[in-house]
Amino acid sequence: MASAPLQVELTVNGAAQRLAAQPRETLLDALRERLGLTGSKSYCHSGACGACTVLLDGEAVSACSTLIGQVRGRAVTTVEGLSEDGGLHPIQQAFIDNWGFQCGYCTPGMLLLAKSLLDANPAPTDEQIVEHMSGNICRCTGYAGILESVRAAARALRSARD
Amino acid sequence: MRVVGSSPPTLEAEDKVAGRTRYLPDEVVPGMAHAKVLRSPYAHARLVFIDASPARALPGVVCVLTRDEVLADPRVGNLYGYVFRDAPLVAIDRVRYQGDIVAVVVAEDVHTAEEALELIDVEYEELPRLLDAEEAMSPGAPLIHDRMYPIASELHPIEGTNVCHRSTLETGDVERGFAEADAVFEDVYEAPPVQHCALELHAVIADVRDDAMTVRTNCQAPFPLKAELERIFKRPARVIVSYVGGGFGSKSRDRIEAVVAAASNLAKRPVRLVLTQEETFLAGYIRPAFKCWIKTGVTRDGIITARSYRFITDAGAYAITGARSANNTVKVAAGPYRIPNAFVECFAVYTNKPPSAPYRGLPTTQHTMAYETQMDRIADELGIDRVEIRKRNLLKDGDIHITGDLIRSSHVAECLDGAVAALSGPAPAGDEQTLRGRGFGCTIKYTLTPPQPSVESEAAVELGADGRFEVRAATVNIGQGSDTTMAQIAAEALGVGLEQMRVVHSDTALVPPDSSTTASRSTYHMGNAVLDAATRLRAEVLEVASGLLEEEPDALRLDGDGVRLASAPERRVALDELVAANGAPLLQYGQCEVGGEYVDEQGKRYPVASTFWTFAAAGAEVEVSRETGQITLSRVSCAVNVGRAVNPVSVHKQIEGGLGMELGPTLFERLVWDGDGQLLTSSLLDYPLPTMSTMPRYETALVEPGFPGGPYGAKGMGEVGSVVLPAAVLNAVYDATGVRFHSVPLHPEAVLRALEEAGEAANG
Repeated sequence: MASAPLQVELTVNGAAQRLAAQPRETLLDALRERLGLTGSKSYCHSGACGACTVLLDGEAVSACSTLIGQVRGRAVTTVEGLSEDGGLHPIQQAFIDNWGFQCGYCTPGMLLLAKSLLDANPAPTDEQIVEHMSGNICRCTGYAGILESVRAAARALRSARD
Repeated sequence: MRVVGSSPPTLEAEDKVAGRTRYLPDEVVPGMAHAKVLRSPYAHARLVFIDASPARALPGVVCVLTRDEVLADPRVGNLYGYVFRDAPLVAIDRVRYQGDIVAVVVAEDVHTAEEALELIDVEYEELPRLLDAEEAMSPGAPLIHDRMYPIASELHPIEGTNVCHRSTLETGDVERGFAEADAVFEDVYEAPPVQHCALELHAVIADVRDDAMTVRTNCQAPFPLKAELERIFKRPARVIVSYVGGGFGSKSRDRIEAVVAAASNLAKRPVRLVLTQEETFLAGYIRPAFKCWIKTGVTRDGIITARSYRFITDAGAYAITGARSANNTVKVAAGPYRIPNAFVECFAVYTNKPPSAPYRGLPTTQHTMAYETQMDRIADELGIDRVEIRKRNLLKDGDIHITGDLIRSSHVAECLDGAVAALSGPAPAGDEQTLRGRGFGCTIKYTLTPPQPSVESEAAVELGADGRFEVRAATVNIGQGSDTTMAQIAAEALGVGLEQMRVVHSDTALVPPDSSTTASRSTYHMGNAVLDAATRLRAEVLEVASGLLEEEPDALRLDGDGVRLASAPERRVALDELVAANGAPLLQYGQCEVGGEYVDEQGKRYPVASTFWTFAAAGAEVEVSRETGQITLSRVSCAVNVGRAVNPVSVHKQIEGGLGMELGPTLFERLVWDGDGQLLTSSLLDYPLPTMSTMPRYETALVEPGFPGGPYGAKGMGEVGSVVLPAAVLNAVYDATGVRFHSVPLHPEAVLRALEEAGEAANG
């Protein structure tokens, strides 16, 4: 049953958070159940599907396989933190414009996985997109719309920078 | 047309990319407790003894539901099922598959519930298990159920056996047809079970009170579920379905809703259950194991004279959906061809495996695999072009289908041409490392159709106080874009833009009834109901405006946010003012009746065997590694007669998604049980799914002749994208390698072995 709670300070979507969590609690549980950030989803709970992908200091990780103790002092970005000034992030807009989702359940994870790619590599080749994005599962789209969305997001982000 | 035929993104698109869409596992109900299910470790066993008192004593446990509690409550029925009533809420005297429900623990939190499962004392006595449908059909096989409990009238079990359904369809004289044939071809095909792997886990929040109950679930058929819950619990039920994160048939019917409701009834508070991914594999629902025998007689010109076709599907331990799913494909099992003499025989058989469910087109996919790969063999052995032989036999408008139905909008030859043209260019040549080939196939798909005329979908459209229109439609928004489709149809009928529309979906307390979101039926059925309601509402709006503007309704036009005088557009009343003047919102209902007979222009009557048939064709281009046997799908094409696309881009994307999904079962997905009935593939590590790295290039095409009777000419197409893929791939692999495979998945080891054997045979 309950062990001694762990005091964890972290930053979530730019806001400082202090949580008293159970040691076996995952980052996904903390986000969804303690902070009400239900945008990050759960399916396999073993780090294999990517539905729970969030950014940890800018790197894409599976929140279901990250223990809360591992995120002390670190910065987490979830899909709720992706929107800018109330407007959609260019990656989000690209997923709408290019039909990068149907049911939308894998979408938060896909968006953050795409962001981790484009932050590190603003002009990825198709091969690089496919390699990077193959970590996450989508059951609806057959992936073509997602590939096109990431290509379009890369173009949009580059032109915004120029 | 302004709105129908355009391709706006879905109404919920912004919410989905912002992470705001709430799926059921995201929902919280005040005061809710959490459930976990104790599942059978054995494939088949007698439940000798169960004592949950140690679990009840654990602090934090609210209650435990076992057979004792279910049997003790006179207001709770103990058998679930509205197709086949054979599934106990929890095991009464037997467990029938590994994963069968033995007990449910309700606790203050999930971890406590999990801990309590281990404290339940259960004694089992193992029984002989049947893991293969053919074995389960053999004389003397032990019976999995003591008796049969069919509910749906079209289901015909054979008492005293494990056959929970057998049906046949016959036309002409098959023996004579074979006697008239110049050549007869016989083949056997098989496909193993797979899981749908909808990423949103199955979940239920049930709140059962003495006088009413509310069940939140992510099922695909809220109204039939409501009726079933009311039968079991003898009180009014409200079923609420929010946005659903994929289903593909796995969520079409599930006893888990009734099980959680029984737990809530016992706990006297709301109870939530979210299955784990492993549970969705163990507990079902799955695409069933499939085997078929196909025998086709043809003339030397390749004209089909007769076909007999027998197939067996593994219904699993409970025929909750499996028996009907199998039966629903009998009409299309012989293919999209003119067949003067046909005999189709269908068996659904109980085994000690998880209950089966429809999987994106039922077993139509496996039937297509059989008849279309055999069609290539017939063509090759008769020396007839593979496309040409199909065209000589494909159903054309005016032909009579084997059911007696008059084919009215086939265009399947056009689909075939489209699928072939989409893979145009010189046929890819093989080289020393890689063999390359192309293959094609066609299909026909059925949608749920009642034998007698029946209203299967209803809808409402309301003009509200803000001057916007609200569509109320029970279609479950499962990712297919149904809210947007319905809004587009209503907007078109009303003469307003999509920005004027909002949609309320699938809450049985808020929307009129509908049979289910399955079988590619919603665009046609719910679309027609919405069109009916919107057309009536438009007339009412013009009538009210006529009074306000003191002009005849015929002289008025509903346009944008107001009603204007056509001849003097400055004379108008805004829609919000119109509602204010009316004193109440304007509301109209619509419905879609289907079934019965079709009467042609000469007054000749034909049975409507399927409200519409969906015809499609697909092609595949494969690369086969000589060294590893690995198959890569480089390009796939698919052309579908969709009647008319309400949202064309959405339709293309639906087809792409079907192709992408079926790639898995075609090339590598397979559920495997050991000899004891223990599932060996219960995690994504043992059961890989398609990823972006296995994605082919998609070439999709729409054939749009318009379908009379469909809303703006539309008919259903949601599932057909996947249906031809295995056939096209098997044909492409033969084209590349000269080896005919009779089963999927095409695992590299199997391919390599077959290539070696073929090489030895050629050299030997």
